[in-house]
Amino acid sequence: MSTTNLGSYKEAQSGYIKILVGLLVLTTVTFVQPHMFLTDMNLGIQLFIGVVKAYLILAYYMHLKGETQIIWFAGFSLFIVAVFFIIVIGFDVANFQYMDESHITQHMDAPHASHATH
Amino acid sequence: MSSHAYVAEIATDRDGNEHVVQGWQDDMYGAKLGFWLFMFTEVLMFGAMFMTLTYYMMLHEADFVHASASLNRYLGGFNTVVLLISALTMGLGLLKMRHGDIKGAKTMIWATIVLAFLFLGVKGVEWSLEYSHGVFLGLDALQPGNEHSKPFGQILFFGMYFTMTGIHGVHILGGIGIMLWLLKRINSGKVTPEHHILHFNIALYWDLVHLIWVFVFPFYYMMGAGTEMDTATLSSTIEAISHLGGSNEHH
Repeated sequence: MSTTNLGSYKEAQSGYIKILVGLLVLTTVTFVQPHMFLTDMNLGIQLFIGVVKAYLILAYYMHLKGETQIIWFAGFSLFIVAVFFIIVIGFDVANFQYMDESHITQHMDAPHASHATH
Repeated sequence: MSSHAYVAEIATDRDGNEHVVQGWQDDMYGAKLGFWLFMFTEVLMFGAMFMTLTYYMMLHEADFVHASASLNRYLGGFNTVVLLISALTMGLGLLKMRHGDIKGAKTMIWATIVLAFLFLGVKGVEWSLEYSHGVFLGLDALQPGNEHSKPFGQILFFGMYFTMTGIHGVHILGGIGIMLWLLKRINSGKVTPEHHILHFNIALYWDLVHLIWVFVFPFYYMMGAGTEMDTATLSSTIEAISHLGGSNEHH
C-alpha cells in the first residue's frame, strides 16, 4: 500500500518539490494563456490545466496513485452528483417554455451584451 | 505507559488459539478510507456548486465574463501560489513525521498555518476592495430592482463568488483550527511517527482545500482574462490597494 511504504526521505522530498515546480509552471501557464494562445477557448483551456493540476495533487500529494479502491469511491460519488444534476436540470431545461419571462442574458456576440438585462 | 498507548486486543477461538484483533490505532487504511468518505461529502457539496455555476454560466455567458474580468486576478493568483506552497509544507511536515523528525514536522505545520493566515489576509484585502467598489452581498449593486443593480447574470456570478470563496475561507479557518489541534496532540505525545494517522488525514484535508481552489481560480478569476474588459487591472489593483485604508464609499 502506497501510504505505508516510507521509502527514502530524500527521494520523497525530491518528489514533493518536483510536483511543486510542476504546479507552479502550470499556474504560470494559467496566467499567460489568455493573452498568448488559444484565447478563443479560454475557459476550456483553463479547466484543462486545472484538471492536470488536480491529477498531480491527487496522485502525489494525496497519495492516491495505486489506491484503486478509493479512486472508485471518488469516481462513483462524482458520477452520482452528475446523474442527479443532469436529471434535474435536464428536465428543467427540456421544459423551459417562457423565454420572455426568463433572466437569460444575450449571447456574447450580441451588441452591448455585457449590459444586457431583462 | 500513557493512557492512549496501543494495547493489542486478543481474541481466542473455540480451539483456544489466540489471535491479535486489529485495533483502530494501527488501522491506517481504515482511518484513511473513513476520512475519504468524509471528503466525498465535501466533493459532493462543492461539485454541486461548480455544476450550478457552470449551468448559470451557460445562460449568462457575457455577464459572467464581464464580472470575472472585474475580479482582481493578481491577488487571486498570489493566493493560488500561497496555497500551493502551503500544500508542500504540509506534505513535507507529514514526511518528516513519518521519518521520525518531530521537530521538523511541527515547524512545517506552523509554516502551513502562517501561509493559511496569509491566504485569509489577502482574501480579506480582496473582499475589502470589492466592498469599496460597492460589490458585496447585500449592497445595492447585487440587489435586483434598483438604479445601482448590476445585470442579473452578474448578480448571480458575484452571489456565487462570495458564497463559494466564503465557504472555502471557512474551510481554511477550519484547517488552521485542526492544525493547531494537531500540534497540541503532537506535543502531548499522542501523535508520533508510529501513530501518525491524524497527521496524515489532516494533510489530506489541507490538500482537498487546495484542490477546491485549483478549480475556484479558473472558474471565477480567469474566465474574463484576456478580454477587452480585462484592461488595466494591475494598475487599478495597485491604485486600489494604496487607497484601501481611506475608502468607505459605495458606488
